[in-house]
Amino acid sequence: MNRMIHILAAIAVVAVPVAALADGDVARGEQKFGDCAACHSVETGVNNVGPSLHAVFGRKAGDLVDFRYSPALKRSGITWTTQTLDQFIADPQKVVPANRMPYGGMTDAGDRADLIAYLQKASK
Amino acid sequence: MVTKLKEVDAVIVGLGWTGGILAKELTEAGLKVVALERGGMRSTDKDFAVPGIRDELRFVNRQDLMMNTARDTLTIRNNPSQEALPMRRLGSFLPGDGVGGSGVHWSGHTWRWTDMEFKVRSMYEERYGKNFIPADMTIQDWGITYAEIEPYYDRFEYTAAISGKAGNIKGQIQPGGNPFEAPRAREYPLPPLATILSSEMFDKAARNTGYHPFPRPTANASRAYTNPDGAKFGACQYCGFCGRFGCEANAKGSAHMTVIPIAMRNPNFELREHCWVTKVLKDSDGKRVTGVTYTNILNGDEFEQPAGIVMLCAYAINNVHLMLLSGIGEPYDPVTQKGVIGKNYCYQTGAGATLFFEGRHFNPFMSAGGSNVTMDDFNTNWDFDRGPHGFVGGYNVGAGFNTPLPLSFRPLPRGTPQWGKAWKTATAKWWGSAMNIGSSGSVMANRYNYYDLDPTYKNAFGLPMMRMTFDYKENEHKLGRHAAEIVNSIAKSMNPTHLNEASARTEPWSVVPYQSTHNTGGTIMGTDPKTSAVNKYLQSWDCHNLFCVGANVFPHNSSYNPTGPVGALTYWTADAIKRYVKNPGPMVPA
Repeated sequence: MNRMIHILAAIAVVAVPVAALADGDVARGEQKFGDCAACHSVETGVNNVGPSLHAVFGRKAGDLVDFRYSPALKRSGITWTTQTLDQFIADPQKVVPANRMPYGGMTDAGDRADLIAYLQKASK
Repeated sequence: MVTKLKEVDAVIVGLGWTGGILAKELTEAGLKVVALERGGMRSTDKDFAVPGIRDELRFVNRQDLMMNTARDTLTIRNNPSQEALPMRRLGSFLPGDGVGGSGVHWSGHTWRWTDMEFKVRSMYEERYGKNFIPADMTIQDWGITYAEIEPYYDRFEYTAAISGKAGNIKGQIQPGGNPFEAPRAREYPLPPLATILSSEMFDKAARNTGYHPFPRPTANASRAYTNPDGAKFGACQYCGFCGRFGCEANAKGSAHMTVIPIAMRNPNFELREHCWVTKVLKDSDGKRVTGVTYTNILNGDEFEQPAGIVMLCAYAINNVHLMLLSGIGEPYDPVTQKGVIGKNYCYQTGAGATLFFEGRHFNPFMSAGGSNVTMDDFNTNWDFDRGPHGFVGGYNVGAGFNTPLPLSFRPLPRGTPQWGKAWKTATAKWWGSAMNIGSSGSVMANRYNYYDLDPTYKNAFGLPMMRMTFDYKENEHKLGRHAAEIVNSIAKSMNPTHLNEASARTEPWSVVPYQSTHNTGGTIMGTDPKTSAVNKYLQSWDCHNLFCVGANVFPHNSSYNPTGPVGALTYWTADAIKRYVKNPGPMVPA
């Protein structure tokens, strides 16, 4: 039941960021990636504290064979898109309770739009 | 059989903060460096990821990141008339083990010790007269000045991602910082951590009383940060598991995620894990060291590693132990007061109160290692007149939370039953509604507090254990009573529902309850080979190619955590060694 509420809440916020996502600033997003860079790389095959974000868009959550994900993320059923990533980064524990990413979330929708614009470019 | 290996430029004994900094700096300067570490490799992703790191039983009760007392320990006594007995289990202090050393499980508190420490004897004698310092108090000036090492403090603070607020930039007092700190060249690399209710309440009460509280500087990154070497930090998540744990977010400044990985990428560097150094070897005339012997503790194989330079970078106690085992320098004798190795072992004291506020919710589970507001009005404030109180040194007072463990943190009003229903009810009621005000006090060197080799007990390698002789003296009792009085007066002004009052530590020191992993002295620095083991560059007076690095060189202990000057002096020594290799020999004339 709890999880249902979280998913519904996550869906409810979709409408707002979509417009913002279209015009993210890649250069600003690269700076925002500083929040992630202690654990994540965009290089292929470079898993650190967090999994590589290379080719993350279109990938199923928990799918890299050489990274040990939390059971919560593996069974989340998420496929990473600009929308699902935006929801997840906003409040990771709300969207996937008990995932093991030690990050409280990026609250500003504009910051997330910039970050995702950068990731779309850098993860290719 | 001892296998003799090929000579290298330098060998480092112990790979924590000091060894890591020297490994990075000296390999970049072109030296071939081998580090010998008694424990194994550690990394954030393999060893400190959640949920495994949230294991109080493993990391606190079973001391997973700490030294193994079944292999080597110390014998302990309070004074020379007692028989020392081996410490079978760690308690009062917790030396780390493995790559990163104690800098993995520290909380991050990083201070700049000032000339009040470096010139302790001359400043007190000048202000209070020679008779103010008791005859058995063996304090001495360090032979360095704050101005000399200021740039090295800065270097360490920017390497370790210190969050804080400057109180004095180039002589200008800064609002919100510590007005009693010595002048610094620039701000901290990161702003202070977010405040928590308990530290805010203390801040208000201290300010109302006329004191000068400020956020404690700490190596918990208040936001994501890339240090000057390119090491990347995440932002502190206020997870509540800091001291005694590794950080899963790479937010705690530690050698294993800063200087050590940089050294390890350098082809000039080699790390050998699980290697226990048993002796530093002297050449025939005793003026130089030629290398070290070590045992691979996984299979017992013994090796000799010849080296042009030897750097002792193990935990402070073990550096002194190695000097004594190797017969370098004259062992200290408290009766004749001759000799230097083992001299001036110091520790820390303190007094703390617990305040209970019915109906307040402190949420202690959300805190960083340095979520703390501190005041230095009775510490680095030289205007505080010690004369009427009759003690040398000082204490800082602070409040907040640092690792209030889910199981071990049990604040209860005095008089609460220690088991049963009443205990359970009180535990549930007060866990989130209590806060502490603590003080940490200096310990001045005393003639009878020292290290030597134990005459009876031997470690797993058949070598004599280190013997620690320590107790608090009258100076510390006086300081502790003053600290307790101040802590209690601030606590009472906050009108708690219940107050467990602070009291001075005047009972004999016990090795059992945890107190502080701030053990200092034993191979102290100074200006005279008769009264110190190393010169101002931490170079041995006896063997000029031997450097002893760490808090073991402090001639006394202040109220502050030691890692700030340990880091600064390591960078200072790295620069000195870079000069030394061009022109080997004593860097200070004896």
